[in-house]
Amino acid sequence: MGPAVTVRVRDAHVYYRVYEDPVPGLKQIFAQGRARRRYRTIRALRGVSLDLHESETLGLIGANGAGKTTLLSAMTGLLPLESGTILGRCRPSLLGVSSALRPALSGRRNILIGGLALGFTKAEISSRADEIIDFSGLRDAIDRPMRTYSSGMRARLHFAIATARIPDILLIDEALAVGDEDFRRRSAQRIDEIRSAAGSVVLGTHVMDEIERHCDRVAWLDDGVLKAVGEPGEVVAAYLASTASR
Amino acid sequence: MSDRDQQLHDLTRPPSSASYLQEAWNRREFAILVPAQDLRAQNMGTVLGQLWHIANPALLVGVYFLIFGVVIDTSRGVENFLGFLIVGVVLFHLTQRVVQDAAVCISRNLGLIRSVQFPRILLPAATLNGQTAAFVPALVLAMVAVVATGERPSMRWLALPAVLAAQFLFNFGAALLVARIGASLSDLQQLLPHLFRLLFYASGVIFSVEAFVTSPGWRRAFALNPIYDVITCARWCLVGEPADGWVVAGLLAWCIALPLIGFVVFHRSEQRLGA
Repeated sequence: MGPAVTVRVRDAHVYYRVYEDPVPGLKQIFAQGRARRRYRTIRALRGVSLDLHESETLGLIGANGAGKTTLLSAMTGLLPLESGTILGRCRPSLLGVSSALRPALSGRRNILIGGLALGFTKAEISSRADEIIDFSGLRDAIDRPMRTYSSGMRARLHFAIATARIPDILLIDEALAVGDEDFRRRSAQRIDEIRSAAGSVVLGTHVMDEIERHCDRVAWLDDGVLKAVGEPGEVVAAYLASTASR
Repeated sequence: MSDRDQQLHDLTRPPSSASYLQEAWNRREFAILVPAQDLRAQNMGTVLGQLWHIANPALLVGVYFLIFGVVIDTSRGVENFLGFLIVGVVLFHLTQRVVQDAAVCISRNLGLIRSVQFPRILLPAATLNGQTAAFVPALVLAMVAVVATGERPSMRWLALPAVLAAQFLFNFGAALLVARIGASLSDLQQLLPHLFRLLFYASGVIFSVEAFVTSPGWRRAFALNPIYDVITCARWCLVGEPADGWVVAGLLAWCIALPLIGFVVFHRSEQRLGA
């Protein structure tokens, strides 16, 4: 028996509709009898099946638009599927609090906002605030408005907030590459903590360096289809070869 | 399939309605504290800063008074026109702000919706709470103005909290409905200002419907407009304008029915929001 599965994706299809017509006016509705808009269907995921295991870090690679972000969103169960199933032992957390944060407010206030968005109570956040600030390494800048932060500093804060409660399954979409060496070391530590607690991490990235650093297995997504899953060395080599020949 | 695999459950299945409300309640701090932070951020970098929360409604009332109280006289049939106007403008503005903000509360938080699982009802609730909190200074201003224009506190004032609570409930229902529609129809944003301009005149904000509309049948039709009902009841409390049973019944019906309808409509398509 292999390692236990934490997330099981089976034949997942995700389509986006991109509308080409404006919403019909009254005139068109009367003329055509009913409102109909032409749209193009973007098949972002076309039948992806994947198992995520305990104590594993899975790398997710692929060209821009290959469906990496879509697959990560789908794994949270929050993106409606056209067909297929997504099972999990708990709901994975996608490193995505960044969208809740307010650039005009200080880092400290943003810890409160991000924490509330993640489902913490105010009391829980207050008791963990110091720990979060320390982990982010932003003690000197924490009372400054977040818009004055560099992109790396912002990434540190996002990561620190999102992992304030060590998640069982963590999905990361291009979050680590912008940080400096110190931040990379800290984030690697967090990822190890999750793994040693029998959790799983999925790391969507374009930085092959990160794959080598963190991943036990790599999945290569190409135009909405999984092209290869396996040993990091082999899959990355095949991926790089395909991009070079393009 | 091993035993351990059987612990897996379907992540795409929506939570049941009962646990949904429970979860929303457990997370209520989100809908209270986040809009509070937003209100702080709103006027940062302006000279008056947080004073704008009171200066804005004061200017709003000032402009209407200048035009309709001084330049064009529509004060026919109203004893205390300034008090009448202020109550109308402030309450109308509250509903307008809640509804217009609710129309974009889903699209503005798409990133959050796509990355974190939480009861989406918290987003329109946060909008409602934020705008209601921003309305408190305007309400205080209205009360001060009403007293300054010669009204004396009476027993009728005791009914005001009930009227405001009814408006809050109505606003909640409207926010849910509009948030749902606005999520799939972004045109709503363009449409709403016109709808509210229409409602503005249909609610007798700047003139007395009692004095201008003489047919009792038509006056009864006005009672179908929830904002007219709110404003009329509040004026009955504060500036002694008349309010009949139709208006009270209309307000009651709206503030009970709309939150229920709004919840059902919003919750039913919860899983598809943000797709």
